[in-house]
Amino acid sequence: MAIPDLGRSTRPAPLDVDPRPEPGSFRDPANRIFHAGDDVLRALDRTAAAHWRALAASSFFPPLLAAGKVCGTEELPPGSPLRDLPTRPASSDWATVLRHERVPFVSHPYEWSFAMVRDAALLHLEILRAAMSAGFTTKDGSAYNLQWRGTDPIFIDVGSFIPLRDGEPWAGYRQFCQTLLYPLMLGAHLGLAFQPWLRAQIDGIDPEQMGPLFRGTRRLLPGVLTHVHLHGSVQRRSAATSTADVRAQLRDAGYTRELALATVRGLEKLVRRLDHQPPSTHWVDYQQTCGYSGDDRAGKERFVAAALAVADRRRLVLDLGANDGRYARLAARHADYVVAVEQDPAVVDRLYRTLRGEGERRVLPLVMDLADPSPGGGWRGVERASFAARASADTVLALALVHHLAIGRNVPLPEVVACLAGFAAPGGRLVVEFVHPDDPMAARLLANKPDGLFPDYRRDAFEALLAGHGTVEERLELPSGTRTLYRVAFS
Amino acid sequence: MNHLAYLDAGSGSLIVQAVVGGIAGVAVAAKLYWRRLVSRFRRQPTDQS
Ligand SMILES: C[S@@+](CC[C@H](N)C(=O)[O-])C[C@H]1O[C@@H](n2cnc3c(N)ncnc32)[C@H](O)[C@@H]1O
Repeated sequence: MAIPDLGRSTRPAPLDVDPRPEPGSFRDPANRIFHAGDDVLRALDRTAAAHWRALAASSFFPPLLAAGKVCGTEELPPGSPLRDLPTRPASSDWATVLRHERVPFVSHPYEWSFAMVRDAALLHLEILRAAMSAGFTTKDGSAYNLQWRGTDPIFIDVGSFIPLRDGEPWAGYRQFCQTLLYPLMLGAHLGLAFQPWLRAQIDGIDPEQMGPLFRGTRRLLPGVLTHVHLHGSVQRRSAATSTADVRAQLRDAGYTRELALATVRGLEKLVRRLDHQPPSTHWVDYQQTCGYSGDDRAGKERFVAAALAVADRRRLVLDLGANDGRYARLAARHADYVVAVEQDPAVVDRLYRTLRGEGERRVLPLVMDLADPSPGGGWRGVERASFAARASADTVLALALVHHLAIGRNVPLPEVVACLAGFAAPGGRLVVEFVHPDDPMAARLLANKPDGLFPDYRRDAFEALLAGHGTVEERLELPSGTRTLYRVAFS
Repeated sequence: MNHLAYLDAGSGSLIVQAVVGGIAGVAVAAKLYWRRLVSRFRRQPTDQS
């Protein structure tokens, strides 16, 4: 069970950094995630360790691991210095420690597009089905059990597998509905964006919140009557009965593993039916309408490629305002991993599908408005890390983006530059395009705002700001004369 | 009881799964409710005495 070494050329010596508990992993006390330098470790208590050994010896788990569907996992040998992890007060030492493949960039379900959530849901169900057939189940069913390796979803919660007791339904069903199935229903049945719901509620969407959206004939849409309405009303009426009692009653009434499997297969069939392409927006056709001449485009590509080629560290590139991913793809030829951030869910959905079709596995597309980036969420606002806390790139691309923030969203130019510079790791670089105020695209944005609102939206002011944050190494005015590219190095 | 389940699976969410599991599952759910009903009738006389 080897761990793919995702671009980790130099690994720090063991424990030269104190292990830090992952703030998002406290809910299941049987195991806990720690970060030690670049290593991701999972400490297991005695019971969890026994489950892990049963899992490693099972028929279903090793093939999933080999296929890359579950994140790379190996047990640390006794005596490894990495096994020395802090325990909770008043609990015995951890029984064993696993080391996981590092997910190249952690993302949250509210940053995924419709097709991404759908593929993540299908993977979760596929893994659950394989587990159940082999006598295992998962303790939970949350979208947060999944992460991405480019456009491939991976199941990360190895601590979630436990032996299945016959006659037990899936404990994760409610979470699955709330964080995966209902978001897909909002998209497929109502054409609504689910991202704001998931961002606002860490536990996802409650059946009670779904009910009012599906009245009248909408009750008849696939899955709605059972997974939404019946689920909601049985939940209301069963509130007084404990889950332990219900489990016992179900077992007595003859619930079997075959029934549990039938439910999972039913969910898979339903999720497959829930297909939906978010409606096109004008950004979808941007590359046709953007007004770049062939010369401009060629010059821009050469400049960006050269900037990526000089970087000595190439682990992570951020492409901000990625649109159809032209530059993200280019970056993927020079770097281990590229995160393509784009505000428009329709654009991201299309980009995800195309990248998957192309077999491009090193670009992760994410839905996010850079003028309103993901805040910290969950307990104390740190259980789900904010985008700012996660974004630390070797190269930041901000191409034809600054005018959207500075003019379109009224963000003061010094703020825009400080924000972009802040996404670069120490020693990293920023490749940024400034669209001059007289460029047709900038002029169009300016025409929507009162005259004279942006007196400092000028090339000289922008250059002075760049120089205040780092060293401008290269500069190129594109042939059309209304756009300039900069390469800035930070110390 | 079930120390493996750190998560509250939701009583209603457990029952509903039987129903969505097809005809055999509906039968299980019906049996569960029938038994609850019967046990309530059986309990009642003793409750009153
Ligand atoms: C002019 S296009 C540039 C596309 C690509 N970077 C290029 O240079 O060809 C600007 C893109 O940025 C996106 N964008 C604009 N404002 C944004 C924001 N606040 N957050 C994220 N993306 C944004 C738009 O949706 C659009 O796809």
